[in-house]
Amino acid sequence: MNAAKVRLWLVRLYPQEWRDRYAPEFDILLEQCLHSPLDVVDVFLGAVDAHLQLLNGDKVNWRTLNMVNKLRTTLLIVFTAYIGFIIAGFSLVGLADDSPMLPLMKTNHTLAFSWTMIQVGAVVALLAVVIGGLPLALMVVRRAWMTNRRRLGLLLVPVFSILALMLYVGFIFLVGTSSIQIAGVFPVVPSGNFPPGNRLMLAGLMLVFILGATASALAVWKIVSSIDPEQETLHITGRRLTVRPYTFALVPAVITTVSMLVMLVATLTWGWMAFSALPQVYAGNYGPWQTNTQVWFYSIVILMILCTLAGFFGLARSRSARIGT
Amino acid sequence: MDNSEFGRFSDPALLILACLAGGEKHGYAMMEDIQATAGVRLGPGTLYGALSRLEQYGLIEALPADERRRPYRLTAQGTAFLRQYLTSLEKFVSLSLKRLEA
Repeated sequence: MNAAKVRLWLVRLYPQEWRDRYAPEFDILLEQCLHSPLDVVDVFLGAVDAHLQLLNGDKVNWRTLNMVNKLRTTLLIVFTAYIGFIIAGFSLVGLADDSPMLPLMKTNHTLAFSWTMIQVGAVVALLAVVIGGLPLALMVVRRAWMTNRRRLGLLLVPVFSILALMLYVGFIFLVGTSSIQIAGVFPVVPSGNFPPGNRLMLAGLMLVFILGATASALAVWKIVSSIDPEQETLHITGRRLTVRPYTFALVPAVITTVSMLVMLVATLTWGWMAFSALPQVYAGNYGPWQTNTQVWFYSIVILMILCTLAGFFGLARSRSARIGT
Repeated sequence: MDNSEFGRFSDPALLILACLAGGEKHGYAMMEDIQATAGVRLGPGTLYGALSRLEQYGLIEALPADERRRPYRLTAQGTAFLRQYLTSLEKFVSLSLKRLEA
């Protein structure tokens, strides 16, 4: 049995939770200092001790000890909160598009301004997510390509989600332009009253979007957690470049969360002004499936509040995970 | 926090804290430093048993890995704990020496 196999066997004596946290660094330590049978006995006793800690019910969570893990969790929480916020924002657009509030915004400049603030917040948050997530995504792809290519399949989930959404939008367009007619299922919809006029298809669109967003968020959680691209040293034209995607993404994560707060405040302002001007809309049924407007609006606001709070909660976790400060 | 909470790792834990008081180090560097300064060779299992407890109690924290090696450093809590322990130890040593001289 060669030395590498002995080390592997020794590391495997430890509990899985312990190995998730310490295995790579412990293996390199063994590579340097495993010289005598006494060292093997010492490792064996260490493994027994780690198992006993678990059996004793000690509050041990080795994975969360590492501040890099805390930073990763922060970013994943903010990303998930952002996905949730998109769902809320998408629902808000659906609510506004299908109501007399849209024409009102053409005449009421304050109302239009608050709507613009929502749009600006959405663009800023999207840019921050793309800029912060790009190095992370590239590193995940690079490492998965080198170690376990099957994991790359998880990245297909967001791609397929976007494709499914695009196909569905295309389908809506074809039905809307009467290019497709399905007797008894989708009646021909008068132009100008589509897609918001067709509740069933709008509900389908929302379902495809929510399912795709949820599946994408879960896939990103899974692949980032399993690959954990903490840092990468690249050699570019003879120069050594160390990339730390988690640290890099922290500032964009702050921008995303602040943008969510701005959008939340703008949404509350917009709702307050719009419903003050049009109380009949507030009391009406402009939500999906002809649900009550105020119930739908408050549901959107509650989701936005929860997502924003989750974002700030994630950032608060990262306070103890600041690296190099 | 009481030093006895570290069980059979209490001495290694203190050696590690004292070692990290001199700056951040990874596992092998800690072993070498402790052997050089205290004349004690910690086995790899003992070292990581103590490291995991110290990290669990928030007395040390891991830094980003350099290649596969991961350096550790003292936290503010760890510094305060070590200072408090060494101060009490200093008083004990001083008192014991006085008794010997008496």
